Amino acid sequence: MNKIIMDDTTGRDTILPALAIRNLNFWYGSNHALKEISLDFPVHQVTGMIGPSGCGKSTLLRILNRMYDLYPGQRATGEVLFDGRNILSPGLDVNVLRSRIGMVFQKPTPFPMSIYDNIAFGVRLHERLSRADMDQRVEGVLRRVALWNEVKDRLNASAAALSGGQQQRLCIARTIATRPEVILLDEPTSALDPISTARIEELLDELKQEFSIAIVTHNLQQAARCADRVAFFYMGELVEVDTADKMFTAPHAKRTQDYITGRFG
Amino acid sequence: MMSAPQSQSTDAGGWQRGGAQAVRRRLVERFVSLLCNMATVVVLFLLFSILWTLITRGAGGLSLPTFLHSTAAPGTGGGLANAIIGSCEQTGLAALIGTPIGMMAGIYLSEFSQDGRIVSLVRFVSDMLLSVPSILVGLFIYLIIVEPAGHFSGMAGTLALAVLFIPIVVRTTEDMLRLVPRAMREAAYALGAPGWRVILNVCLRSARGGIMTGILLALARISGETAPLLFTSLGNLNWSTNLNAPMASLPVTIYQYAGSAYDDWVQMAWTGALLITVAVLATNILARWWLTRNGSAQQ
Repeated sequence: MNKIIMDDTTGRDTILPALAIRNLNFWYGSNHALKEISLDFPVHQVTGMIGPSGCGKSTLLRILNRMYDLYPGQRATGEVLFDGRNILSPGLDVNVLRSRIGMVFQKPTPFPMSIYDNIAFGVRLHERLSRADMDQRVEGVLRRVALWNEVKDRLNASAAALSGGQQQRLCIARTIATRPEVILLDEPTSALDPISTARIEELLDELKQEFSIAIVTHNLQQAARCADRVAFFYMGELVEVDTADKMFTAPHAKRTQDYITGRFG
Repeated sequence: MMSAPQSQSTDAGGWQRGGAQAVRRRLVERFVSLLCNMATVVVLFLLFSILWTLITRGAGGLSLPTFLHSTAAPGTGGGLANAIIGSCEQTGLAALIGTPIGMMAGIYLSEFSQDGRIVSLVRFVSDMLLSVPSILVGLFIYLIIVEPAGHFSGMAGTLALAVLFIPIVVRTTEDMLRLVPRAMREAAYALGAPGWRVILNVCLRSARGGIMTGILLALARISGETAPLLFTSLGNLNWSTNLNAPMASLPVTIYQYAGSAYDDWVQMAWTGALLITVAVLATNILARWWLTRNGSAQQ
């Protein structure tokens, strides 16, 4: 039933998506923010979500790790299938879910602790590692995000002393340290300078070898550069989803065309 | 290139733009800043004259016996040792009781605000406690503890001080936790952290500088309180660390000595006042140092 056939953009065989959204509706109180969304997030691909402010793309991202649970009055109906289960079901352990579906936020949010502990914090929540194993894990993820050489001599220094770009790479390292299967990124470069942005984008390209990635962005060039597939949202509806190439050269819907040519948004 | 600025300036009056109005504005500006400077001088003058008076009058009594001997009858060379130890014991214990209660209530107000009515009730009561005259707190403890027990006690004094201490800590804890960015909380939840870990390991850690400052300021505030102790720990002429008996304290001793007819008692009152002031000043400086140190480490 859920073995949706997708267009094959990476030469891989057609496989189960990492995440499959079916008939999702979402409300902030009485405000119907997302309407009947059905969307797949293919394994080992970057799925970009674009659309004007308030279109619901960040809301969608925050459903995928049940972040909306923190706020009363927000509710979702429908299905989000992940590893054989509907993650919206009330009985689900959200802490386990969040360790398997990690999230990186718009602004870098280093915790008020050392660089080392910023990474170890998340790992300790779910695993009991020996000191040596933890050291190895921390070094591994810091190398992964190309931060190791910059911080290896000051792992015990406060993470707040890092630059914005370094902090964001630390946050990505922190997220992948818990070994998630999916990474959600909510406008991860909108607070960064162009050089830091380029480094994060390079990183995404490399990370998709191991993780399935969903990224919300306001930057259409970024979506074109990074995403394999792009979904366009408008006023709580999913207007169109296609490969990045087709989306930016030959969109089907008029609204998509208007948006990507800068006529509104 | 040369003519452009010239032609622009002729339209709007050049440097004469505004005319008399501009002159008036400059005069008002000077007058207001003069007033502000004078106000600052008045405040600083008052502060330093208090300090100067305390130092010149109080320093005479700063000797070893003052710290070693308890209060004694006039003319027999007593000290303030019992008052100092009493003050330390009562304020220290009040802080020890008040800090966890105040912090937990502050955490409740900031983090568990699902039911808005209970939260606003607790906040209202706590804020009211913050502005209750301290003598009322003394009378309250007198009624519920001293009278049933039949005697004054250091414990009653401690509790009265704790009642004054708690609301300050509640307020600062709540305020400081509310300053923790929502994004930081969400980032911790997004790693799969349960709520109590987010609060303990991330929010409280981020707010600890501010909360510590609040605790130190609350400590400074209660260390000078006299009224709540008059009806509770009463005072004690002898050395006593027994919480179940009346206990001396610096503010109450100052109150009794300053109004007496004996020169050496008046001298001791000045010395006691100097000691409290120096302790409060030191605590304040410590609190500020703590805040700036932690503030710079975090941002």
